[in-house]
Amino acid sequence: MPGFLRKLGWLTTRSRREAELREALEFHLEEEIEKGKTAGLTEAQARAAARRELGNPGLIAEDTRSAWSWPLLTLVETIFGDVRYGARMLARNTKVTVLTVLALALGIGVNASVFTAYKALWLMPLDARDPHEMVNIALTRDSGPTNSFSYPDYEAYRDSLDSFSGLIASRAMNARLSSAGGPPDLEASLVGSGLGRLGLISPRISGEERARIEIVTENYFEVLGVAPVRGRSFESLSRAELQAQPSVLISENYWQRRFGGDPEIIGKTIRLNNVAVTVIGVTPHDFRGADFGAPPFWAPISIDPLFNRDDQWLNQRENQRYRLHGRLAHGVSMAQAQAEMNPIANQLRALHDPESISAEPASALVLPGSPLLPQPNNGMEVVIALIMFAAALVLAVACANVGSLQLARARSRQHELSTRLSLGASRLRVVRQLLTESVLVGLLAGVSALFLTWAFLQELSAQFAGVFPLWTGSPAFDVTPDFEIVGYVVAVSLFAGILAGLTPAMESSRSALAAIVRSNASSRRSRRLQDVLVAAQVSLSLILLIVAGMLIRTSFNEIKMPTGYDTLNVISLDFRFAEPSDYDADAKLAVAQELRTRLAALPGVSAMSSARPPGERRFLTAAMPIGEAAAVGNPVQSILAYTRVQENYFETIGVPLVLGRTFQQQGNSAVILSESAATELWPNQNPIGRSLRLGPTDEQHHRRSELVAEGPALQVVGVVRDKRGMALDGGGSREIYLALAGDQVSSRPILIRTQAEPKQVIDILGPVLTSIDPTISATANTLEERLRASPLFGVSMLFGAFASAIGTCALLLALMGIYGTVSYIVVLRTREIGIRRAIGAQRGDVIGLILRESTRPILIGLILGMPLSAGGVFLATRLLFGLSFVDIVSTAAVTVLFLSIALLASYFPARRAMGIDPLVALRHEG
Amino acid sequence: MKPSPPSRVDLLQGTLDLLVLRTLLFGPAHGHAIAKHIQAVSEELLQIETGSLYPALHRLEAQGWIDATWEKSEKGKRAKYYRLTSPGRKHLVAERMKWETFARAMGLVLKPTGEEA
Repeated sequence: MPGFLRKLGWLTTRSRREAELREALEFHLEEEIEKGKTAGLTEAQARAAARRELGNPGLIAEDTRSAWSWPLLTLVETIFGDVRYGARMLARNTKVTVLTVLALALGIGVNASVFTAYKALWLMPLDARDPHEMVNIALTRDSGPTNSFSYPDYEAYRDSLDSFSGLIASRAMNARLSSAGGPPDLEASLVGSGLGRLGLISPRISGEERARIEIVTENYFEVLGVAPVRGRSFESLSRAELQAQPSVLISENYWQRRFGGDPEIIGKTIRLNNVAVTVIGVTPHDFRGADFGAPPFWAPISIDPLFNRDDQWLNQRENQRYRLHGRLAHGVSMAQAQAEMNPIANQLRALHDPESISAEPASALVLPGSPLLPQPNNGMEVVIALIMFAAALVLAVACANVGSLQLARARSRQHELSTRLSLGASRLRVVRQLLTESVLVGLLAGVSALFLTWAFLQELSAQFAGVFPLWTGSPAFDVTPDFEIVGYVVAVSLFAGILAGLTPAMESSRSALAAIVRSNASSRRSRRLQDVLVAAQVSLSLILLIVAGMLIRTSFNEIKMPTGYDTLNVISLDFRFAEPSDYDADAKLAVAQELRTRLAALPGVSAMSSARPPGERRFLTAAMPIGEAAAVGNPVQSILAYTRVQENYFETIGVPLVLGRTFQQQGNSAVILSESAATELWPNQNPIGRSLRLGPTDEQHHRRSELVAEGPALQVVGVVRDKRGMALDGGGSREIYLALAGDQVSSRPILIRTQAEPKQVIDILGPVLTSIDPTISATANTLEERLRASPLFGVSMLFGAFASAIGTCALLLALMGIYGTVSYIVVLRTREIGIRRAIGAQRGDVIGLILRESTRPILIGLILGMPLSAGGVFLATRLLFGLSFVDIVSTAAVTVLFLSIALLASYFPARRAMGIDPLVALRHEG
Repeated sequence: MKPSPPSRVDLLQGTLDLLVLRTLLFGPAHGHAIAKHIQAVSEELLQIETGSLYPALHRLEAQGWIDATWEKSEKGKRAKYYRLTSPGRKHLVAERMKWETFARAMGLVLKPTGEEA
């Protein structure tokens, strides 16, 4: 294409060509002058006429340039020019620029963080090559989705499905680690650290070291497409070889942290659950496969029977412990895979125990690969949407903030704008210039936000990973911005830049136009617009602050809410036999009795009772009153939570008895109710001595339909105070207590009430256990620590933390915006203040006027924000459980804060303006 | 524009190129000469704006219809002389045909034979 090449040639020798054009025009001019002189004009007249005839040389040059260029290139060039000019303008006003970039970066950063966290947690992919090909395999039944499969079922799917190029199964398990050498992993150090202090992990006080193992099918690494960084993986060994010499892989993380990067690790033999295994390879740093984090060890599924001392482990169809993931074959969609899977799922159903849930009709579910369990409609979507909405609101506040600041600045740039307009720039051109500047600010803020967010989340996830004990593995969250995150941030930044800049640009170009014709009418308009923007900021941040304040208070209340039992002075001691099959029931009981006797003798122990600690997963049963009362009342069965306890349980954990008595040693048909259960069963009656029947109490989970009160008649002997339930809504206080049989003591944790500091008692529990049986592994923590580890507490903390972060951002932005804008406006009114003073206004009058006008938009914003926040609070209470309603105190505090900031922001510049001689003030540019 | 007798005519969009090419058919010329030539030949009815002439010359050069060389003018100054290239010649022929067809069509519509009577 010669045309193309010619143009390209012109572009490369552009400056020479432009000089040539100038020369040609010069020549033209001289010819013209010559002609004028021939026509009888003087030199000066001829020159002037020639110049007039020539017109604007700059414009000619520009038109010529566009003749040589492509239209798109011309556009790019003008944009480039705008950007260069904008950058110069921004650099000139460093302070304002930094402030606006900071404000927008804060708003964009909040959104980027939320989006990154959403991607890293909710949309966490499998850690694999081409992760988009990886899928989760699950079944969905009436009772909900499940992704637990047995090994025989896995084999059936693996061998009969063509939709997958590879199918893997895995499960995580905690094992005892021994013969590992080196200093053992001391979990005690954990107790002092962040989450450890919160009690999320029960520290080990006795028994062997623990390590989490990910048990995987032999093709796991091949299907995921990941090779070990050292040694080899299971694919290189046959099943027989693996069983003859059990092998494991170690994660790089654990190898470094537990074994100090021991170069001799390959070939080392350790014991896991007392099975000797050889380390044959090291998996890459942070490689997490199909899980959330890198486990210490990976073991082939062929040795799972050894870990469990059960030859038939892999042959039992009801042993459904494995999660399935697959790699879709090339060109196969998830829907196709699902369709192919359905008939197999149906065939397998028939092979399961017809009584079990696995025999119920189920349909296959193939979902995008993720370590998360597929749980549709569990309300998380609403929470995520709410969080994203809150983040978007913060951005809106930031935009209004920057918008009002830009507007104020554009007003001070009126001279420049009107000059440009009178030089012939179209209004569109000026708007484009101003918009370019805001977009520039937006992008600048976006880039800063991107890096700040990355650094912040990196630190956060490192902190998070650091608080987990070594043996549970290292959670690995990938917060590195990828293409999607960068794209998202750029889009948000552009949007924010345009949003923040559009109105001010339109408005100031309009008023600049007006300024040319020396009319001041539109300055009032633009000031009103500014007031609107300030009011918008105030009302939006008010909504955020009030809702955030409510969330914070609610989570605080949640945490502080009395539990109904003593949490501080009760220790729960959980102990497990290393190899339960090595002990018969009598041996177990003997150990438990010995332990109890030894504990009772410890100093500082005042009471002791064997029972599951409160707050642990409870079983539900049905209850139905019988006898004469049943005929009177409505014989509807209630669903109660039941716990088997010893007679001194209530005394040990500090739950007061309200009516009647506790169990007698042998009273097996006696039950004790919680107050709310008693009220439900026998409203307004004394329940003592009344009888009821219960549904199944075998400590198994049953379907609701199986909960039928058909058990033997039981007699209520006592009523105790309610404990606060562990359901997220704080409900579930209806409980029934059954007597614990003496021989069941060995299967329960021991609750110990202490007189001394519980920490001291926990410290001496370890040696006691070791002296009885060193292989018993035990954990101990206070009920307070257990409470903090509960999901309710965690959710509350998380909400509280998020609300605090959002609230802080909103508050910061609002204060920054109000102060910046209000003080700027007042400075711009210096001239006006001078006029007022010159024509005799009193100092007090002027200051009063300025303060009144400055606080007006704040007041309007507050008045508008109030009903909106009430709406927001209402919406939040509908979507989230257990929120307490708006509190007047924080609303009032926010109001006062906003108003005083506005007063401060206007007072100082106003006072300065008053101090200036009116004559000087009059000359002030504004 | 005042409705006075046509002392000047505004150029129709796109006709300047045709005029320039036609002028160069006589031989190489510099910008000023081209403008003067068109004005003179059109009996001063067509006034060539310098602001449109030079971009147009560059546009034609970019298209490859004319070529430019720096030569000494009659007065000994360096001036940029344009000459028609052979693609330019072809283009001129084509454009001229188009224009004539257009002019004839306009004429037919504006002065239908029936009206002449």
